[in-house]
Amino acid sequence: MISSPVIDCIAVNKSYKQNHVLRDLDLSIPPGSVVGLLGKNAAGKTTLLKAILGLIRPNSGSITTLDHDAWNLPPDAKARLGYVPQLITLYPWMKVRHMIDYTASFYPRWDRPLIDRLLHEWELPENATIGPLSSGQLQKLAILLAIGHHPDLLILDEPAAALDPVARRAFLATLLDIVSDSTDAPHTILFSTHITADLERVADRVAILKDGQVVYHDSLDTLKDHVKRLRITANAPLPTPLNLPHTLSEEISGPNARITLRNLTPELLARLASDLHATIEVEDLNLDEIFLEFHHA
Amino acid sequence: MDSALLISVSPTSGVPIYRQLIDQVRSLIASKRLQPGEFLPSVRTLAQRLQVNPMTVSKAYSLLQRDGLVELAPGQGMRILPPSPVKIPLNQRRQALLPLLRQVAATAYQLNLTQQQVMDLLAPLLENFDRDSEANPG
Repeated sequence: MISSPVIDCIAVNKSYKQNHVLRDLDLSIPPGSVVGLLGKNAAGKTTLLKAILGLIRPNSGSITTLDHDAWNLPPDAKARLGYVPQLITLYPWMKVRHMIDYTASFYPRWDRPLIDRLLHEWELPENATIGPLSSGQLQKLAILLAIGHHPDLLILDEPAAALDPVARRAFLATLLDIVSDSTDAPHTILFSTHITADLERVADRVAILKDGQVVYHDSLDTLKDHVKRLRITANAPLPTPLNLPHTLSEEISGPNARITLRNLTPELLARLASDLHATIEVEDLNLDEIFLEFHHA
Repeated sequence: MDSALLISVSPTSGVPIYRQLIDQVRSLIASKRLQPGEFLPSVRTLAQRLQVNPMTVSKAYSLLQRDGLVELAPGQGMRILPPSPVKIPLNQRRQALLPLLRQVAATAYQLNLTQQQVMDLLAPLLENFDRDSEANPG
């Protein structure tokens, strides 16, 4: 059985005046996946997430979220969503406990034991007033408010940005618990980040957003298996450019070259070694390096 | 012995986590730190211990199963199998090793090491595993 995607964006465009933020963007996310959305500042991450949630309306294209048009999500679909915005605005005069009770009152299946446990584990003072909370505490609270109803689709915009390393680990462990919790329907998580190390632990898929388009979307393993840097040492000067398929970056100097390919196959490697009479060293790249390679001029 | 303690991953390495897991289980079996009949930690346990996505762990386990290193014992988990007689043709096994050796050769060249010096380094490493391969020659 092929299950329909949880999120399906087709040819989405969004402009703010002259600023074309999303350009014919396509993105389809299968249920049960944990997707890390990577992009530089101003790549369009927040705009995309908000459009998926139906908080802003694209100029053209279609977005289907949980089988409904994102802009016209019915209440029962909205009840299956969880969202942690980048800019957290909560009632500053409320106490942490009251804010949680208030949010819980909107959801029939609020998991009070879970939230109580996390309040304790994350060291959030439940009798504190929200106004003076630190940005890290505020972010923790916003995450709790977004997961208490076990949303089928959880969307987080830079969820770990304000968290210290200890809190980030605790938060990642919670995300993994949510994913492992296979008792009900598979939970899908989409989060934007520029902390690639977090993404490498929890995400099974990566979407790289660049200039308003998804330039890469596949499993993290596939990305790491395919994107490789070659260090070529030949006996004679190498031709410039080498024009290899799917080149992300290329530096050639005499008989030496440093080339990053988007899709290195064993066949290509064998062919290169014999064609160029060269020794070729293949270097694995981590996500940070791969991200940089996708952003070469 | 809690086998989950024997396994660790480095998420920021360029090697995908599932391959790190496979490589480690292979070498734990080769070095007899995991014995036939013992069990791998459950997917959930290992994912929680290492703080990685459980799907990554289950992907590694199913590939280990495909390669005949472990079997799924219903209700009990992944059991380490005794080393099976090698079924893959010699030529294919040679081809599998070749890319790694090419890298070794290139690095040795850059480090200005002689053939003999490289062999001297390699020999004791091979001897470490020798007892295990005696049972299954070519």
